[in-house]
Amino acid sequence: MAKVYDAGVKEYRETYWMPDYTPLDTDILACFKVTPQDGVPREEVAAAVAAESSTGTWTTVWTDLLTDLDHYKGRAYAIEDVPGDDTCFYAFVAYPLDLFEEGSVVNVMTSLVGNVFGFKALRALRLEDVRFPIAYVVTCNGPPQGIQMERDILNKYGRPLLGCTIKPKLGLSAKNYGRACYEGLRGGLDFTKDDENINSQPFMRWRGRFDFVIEAIHKAEAETGERKGHYLNVTAPTSDEMMKRAEYAKEIGAPIIMHDYITGGWSANTQLAQWCQDNGMLLHIHRAMHAVLDRNPHHGIHFRVLAKILRLSGGDHLHSGTVVGKLEGDREATLGWIDIMRDSFIKEDRSRGIFFDQDWGSMPGVIPVASGGIHVWHMPALVNIFGDDSCLQFGGGTLGHPWGNAAGAAANRVAVEACVEARNQGRELEKEGKDILTNAAKHSPELAAAMDTWKEIKFEFDTVDKIDVAHK
Amino acid sequence: MNKPDTYVGINNEINGGMTTIGKIIRDAWVFGILDESETCQGWNLAGIDGVLQKVNNEWDKYGCLVSQLPPELAKRHREIHYKAFQQAKEAGWSGEIETDDEDE
Repeated sequence: MAKVYDAGVKEYRETYWMPDYTPLDTDILACFKVTPQDGVPREEVAAAVAAESSTGTWTTVWTDLLTDLDHYKGRAYAIEDVPGDDTCFYAFVAYPLDLFEEGSVVNVMTSLVGNVFGFKALRALRLEDVRFPIAYVVTCNGPPQGIQMERDILNKYGRPLLGCTIKPKLGLSAKNYGRACYEGLRGGLDFTKDDENINSQPFMRWRGRFDFVIEAIHKAEAETGERKGHYLNVTAPTSDEMMKRAEYAKEIGAPIIMHDYITGGWSANTQLAQWCQDNGMLLHIHRAMHAVLDRNPHHGIHFRVLAKILRLSGGDHLHSGTVVGKLEGDREATLGWIDIMRDSFIKEDRSRGIFFDQDWGSMPGVIPVASGGIHVWHMPALVNIFGDDSCLQFGGGTLGHPWGNAAGAAANRVAVEACVEARNQGRELEKEGKDILTNAAKHSPELAAAMDTWKEIKFEFDTVDKIDVAHK
Repeated sequence: MNKPDTYVGINNEINGGMTTIGKIIRDAWVFGILDESETCQGWNLAGIDGVLQKVNNEWDKYGCLVSQLPPELAKRHREIHYKAFQQAKEAGWSGEIETDDEDE
């Protein structure tokens, strides 16, 4: 009698659940937070996740004889409880390096967060962390310049960099926009920034904006003797158009450009980052749309993964959240992904939400950008939390100064320098912040006015996404 | 609501006059470009823009910084802006409004 096959009844765990497997140093490792449908065993769901994010969707045909399933398949090798949440569990999956194209975060993520996220056996799924082995890291281009090169290019050392997003995003002519940049830079900022929504709309086409902004940069540089920059947003409808704008920015002498890496796409971002590296340009990265992916504690992609993706794809700055201020995030989690952006080796640390050791080898770091809802009173805490290799970006905290943009910029520059000096002399910034700023304001009417403007503000919103241990 | 053709005047402004145009007018008072009794009520955009260019030219002489103004202008700036700051606060303005629309 001929052998009978029952299509579709073989359980995933027979092939993909391998609790005795010891991950190889070359494996890509992933930690998923899995919320299963009722009644489905954990091992089966974990195995299904491993399958559907690797070879599970590959049709079984005679060519299986040519490609070795056992070599390419993902392996669910461990499951763990989620502290404080019985509705879900962590599943750890190891993927062989050969499953992915070298230097392509696009290819990796197409598997890891592809069809599996719509799988019916799951109610929800979240990619919490990924360990990229050094063997894969070295195939990626990474940040175009890195932190040390950026400091050398700008000739700025020993303090956080200061920036400001130009507002309003609507209504300014290119000329007045350039003027706002000049005032911010002249007042003491290192960078001004295009709002992420500013691309090349009818009210202000990109080329006119670039021309007026570069004039502002040159004027501010001539008057201050410092290197200045503006994140010229080259995000565009097509990658050809993006490259055209980047080329023009270089042609007119801009030191830095900007890209929205999630809405713009990772292929485009990797292309742009490689071009920046080849052409000595700095690349500022905005993260519009990240909250769609990372805000829900049970479904999506954690920002620490998106940060790793960016470091591999390439960028010199990345918006990271503020820890303090109106848009504050969970402090420990934020510190975790700041380490992921900047350090060479990050150890597993569950208290910061880091599930794996991550070795970046000699890949340069990315400067975290703290932006949104912050002002001079936050400066002591920001300097303490973020340290020198960071960019502190005050939008309303600069442009909202009652005396205007330059005064707002001057206030922030005096404040950051006062905080750095105090820290270098051994003072405790978060305890003595008020004294430090008050003393600095004696010599800076701009800072004194800023402190009067913002002193009564308190932000008391709770964070949505916390480290799991804090949930219950 | 239709967009107004003319400016409402600094005394009738939102946020107690702590707006971009309000700051332009106050600086114009400081530099003597406008008389302090001039509220610009009924002016059109071109009129305001003309004042802005003159104000910018004045600020360029002092690197845009209040701390670099000569003593007489610094005193004038302090008096005009202090009064405006107090009026704006009494009208409900605070620094928080300035960061309301911020994203990251």
